[in-house]
Amino acid sequence: MADLDFQRQALAHLDALYNFAMYLTKRPPDADDLVQETYLRAFRFSHRFQPGTHLRAWLFQILRNTFLTFYRVRERESPVAEDGVPEWDVPMFHHAPENDGTAMDAHTDLERALRRLPEEFRTVLLLAEVEGLPLEEVARVMACPVGTVKSRIFRAKERLRGLLRDYETK
Amino acid sequence: MSDRFDESSDETLGRRLVGDLPRYAAPARLRVAIVEAATPVARRPAWLAPVLAAAATTMLLALVTLPVLPRIVPADPMQRYVRAVVSEHARTVMWGARRGEILPTALPWLTQESGIALSQVFVGDDRLQFVAAEPVYLERQRGVAIHYRDVDGHMLTYIALPAAAALTIPEPARVPIGRWRPALMRDSGYAAWVWKQKDVACFLVSDMVSADDVETFKEYFARVRATTEPVPAY
Repeated sequence: MADLDFQRQALAHLDALYNFAMYLTKRPPDADDLVQETYLRAFRFSHRFQPGTHLRAWLFQILRNTFLTFYRVRERESPVAEDGVPEWDVPMFHHAPENDGTAMDAHTDLERALRRLPEEFRTVLLLAEVEGLPLEEVARVMACPVGTVKSRIFRAKERLRGLLRDYETK
Repeated sequence: MSDRFDESSDETLGRRLVGDLPRYAAPARLRVAIVEAATPVARRPAWLAPVLAAAATTMLLALVTLPVLPRIVPADPMQRYVRAVVSEHARTVMWGARRGEILPTALPWLTQESGIALSQVFVGDDRLQFVAAEPVYLERQRGVAIHYRDVDGHMLTYIALPAAAALTIPEPARVPIGRWRPALMRDSGYAAWVWKQKDVACFLVSDMVSADDVETFKEYFARVRATTEPVPAY
């Protein structure tokens, strides 16, 4: 198990991880579980963390991998398209859980639009734009080249703009 | 508001994401739960596991090797012989004679097998009933055993071994019975009269250990001693 200093450093990013988890899972109970599992894994494998590298990015990476491993399997995720990004009408994360009353409500059109984005697009925007991670770190978290990250950011924003435009016209 | 998006640059949208998107803060209970889950429970000392493993291994080895280890035998030859005859008696009480022979019919065969000739032998009376006679092999010596049962159901075993030279009757244990002075020995809850007749060591074993029983046991000794004459046959 990790030493107290490592735990303290890791827990400094709790809010950021929880925010990310909320946008991934869309349900507070799932976000709780996901974050807790993330920290337990981080503490258990703290010896694998390379000092001097970005702890925040490492934690995001664990969280996303945990999400993909457990939550997407649990939700019987649809297969992704060839380029790793699903088609627009094929959500990466099904929205069925929102119907059980525990899903969080979207407060703004922006939030609603972001939640409709596929997971890859949501993640890339949350990490790069909201959390301000360098593209290299985002690439590391998402296990893809930096070029792919840039491409996903571009396409994510395009889709986000389109969704926002739709909300405006409605 | 639409122009906000029509011409919005990536930077504008990025700023909106940072500024307008709600941020969800982790509930305090989540931090507590994580810290509690990460706190290691009281761990066993590092030395405990190897010590327990070593102890378990030792016990296992002891259990495996115990049956094949040599028994701790008394250093005193007399005690050794008493233990042997008591064991023989206990075996007979539990499972009977291996080959019960009738006296005096089987005397020649017994002499041949045991190396002990019985020129005279007690074959029972109103108190003691003859049960069986058989050759025995105790303490690396051939001998003869004769089993009796008294009217109260006590089993008695008379054993003669050609071991008189190796034995010294302990004086403190001697008990005067008529004109004899056998020693009363005890082992494993049994009592045994021990005496010598020329070159033969004789034993009379029974479970008659209480004070009253010992008095009766004395009488039985006298009956057997007076009418049994073992001698080495060869």
